[in-house]
Amino acid sequence: MHDAVSLEGQDRATAIIVTTEFLHEAEVQRDALGMAELEPVVITHPLSTLSDEEIGQRAADAAEQAKKIWLGKA
Amino acid sequence: MARQKTAESSPVESVVSGGVDLVEWYYEKGFSDGFPVVPPTPEKVAATVEALGGDADYVEARVPPRWGSLTREVLAINMVMAGCKPDYAPVVRAAMLALCSPAFNLHGVQATTHMASPLLVVNGPIRKKLEMNAGHNVFGSGNRANATIGRAIRMILLNVGGGWPGDLDKSTLGSPAKYTYCIAENEELGHLAPYHVEKGFTEDDSTVFVMPAEPPHSVTNHVADDPEGILDSIVSAMSTIAHNNAVSAGHCAVVIGPEHAAVMAKYQWTRHDIKNYLWYQATNTFGDVAFQHRYGKVYNRSLPKWYKRDVDARIPVVPSAEHIHLFCAGGEAGRFSAFIPGWGHMASPVLRELNGNAPAGGGMVCEDGTCYL
Amino acid sequence: MPLDAPKTGHVVYDPRGIVETTAIPLGKRVADLNGLRLGILSNKKWNGNNLLRKTRAILEDEIDFADVKFYEKESFSKNADPGLLGEIIADNDIVLTAIGD
Repeated sequence: MHDAVSLEGQDRATAIIVTTEFLHEAEVQRDALGMAELEPVVITHPLSTLSDEEIGQRAADAAEQAKKIWLGKA
Repeated sequence: MARQKTAESSPVESVVSGGVDLVEWYYEKGFSDGFPVVPPTPEKVAATVEALGGDADYVEARVPPRWGSLTREVLAINMVMAGCKPDYAPVVRAAMLALCSPAFNLHGVQATTHMASPLLVVNGPIRKKLEMNAGHNVFGSGNRANATIGRAIRMILLNVGGGWPGDLDKSTLGSPAKYTYCIAENEELGHLAPYHVEKGFTEDDSTVFVMPAEPPHSVTNHVADDPEGILDSIVSAMSTIAHNNAVSAGHCAVVIGPEHAAVMAKYQWTRHDIKNYLWYQATNTFGDVAFQHRYGKVYNRSLPKWYKRDVDARIPVVPSAEHIHLFCAGGEAGRFSAFIPGWGHMASPVLRELNGNAPAGGGMVCEDGTCYL
Repeated sequence: MPLDAPKTGHVVYDPRGIVETTAIPLGKRVADLNGLRLGILSNKKWNGNNLLRKTRAILEDEIDFADVKFYEKESFSKNADPGLLGEIIADNDIVLTAIGD
């Protein structure tokens, strides 16, 4: 989240993908860093043990959310 | 831009009725590590703040991942809760400053799914002053300083850092080291130069060393009477794909027990000799680390790019001898040592003199009295 | 300011310390994704690159980016190097990245 806050601080709209297990931590970090409006892209946990096809499904979900975040429609 | 205090803040100090069971009160508030805490009193907190230099509102650090402000008062409160004496304050503070330095990556250590917990090793005269244990049962129970200094650090990581299990601390298994993990090096036996002297400090300096670490893995060897034989047992403990160094490189620690260290000294093996032997001999095949590509072709970007990615290539467990942090500790009876895997390349151990002073030798590496230029 | 110790009560303490923050506004949003430069920052975690590559492919099917650049952090657990962030900021309009397992 530090990277995302740094990038957003320079007007580079950032879509940051987190898995559900790490969403709370991401929210705590962005609040502590002062950027409470920064919304992450959230995909179902886990990621590291998924098959290629399952990763493809997560990617489709991530792409839809990322577009909304960049366009301010999240 | 004005700094705002979040709604999570509450008065540091308040009053409850005299009939309240204070031990239960701290449990109910969620401020305990699972063991009963010592309820702080104004006198105990003030004594510890004084030992820290006064100025209760001075912010020593901000502790991730919650980024709570560790004022001297808050540090003192957690120390008292852990059972520390005020005299322990310089060590606890130095350890927290070391942990909160960027190189240590405390945020990652707090949040990881791995079981890593900061290991604290204390060197120098402060060990004797605080009556720390460097002998029998050094990793175990029975010594107030070891137990409560380590516990105070964990209490701070929980309360100020917010590293509560299942919440921001995602450790799958955790370990007993998450209650307390603090030892002193046994410098007095003289079998090896002290760790902090190897790193350029003098014997009169007192230092803290912190490293994110798995619990110790016992290494038994009651047979060998030469350095190679003993070290081969430690090599065996290191040469497995199961610990985090094997798949994520980074730093590790080795604690040589006194009986084993005496053999090293008898054959005049220095720290340099021991570390290099361990580094050179402790290897896995890349094929084993990559599960023989059974689950797809593995490259593993967490390992240095200069490790060969051939299945038969032997790759080191850690990237260099300097990634092995060597200590002598434990009791004088028993032929045991310990291998302590680290977390991986994601964090660096930190060594800090109690007052933050640099080594007088200007950073030269001095081992067993010999300084490497 | 310390309280006077009451005759009948106990003083109790909050060991957590406060969290101080400085509010930082979110960066500007974009009106149209076509023609923009997309930077993708990977943390090198297992499957992370794969996820980001697949997400990129799906996005490129419907969006005409001016350019897409791929970057890697030194370590998945640490903040990106400031030099790397500077490079990303200089050469891109929007960013996609990932954290966690």
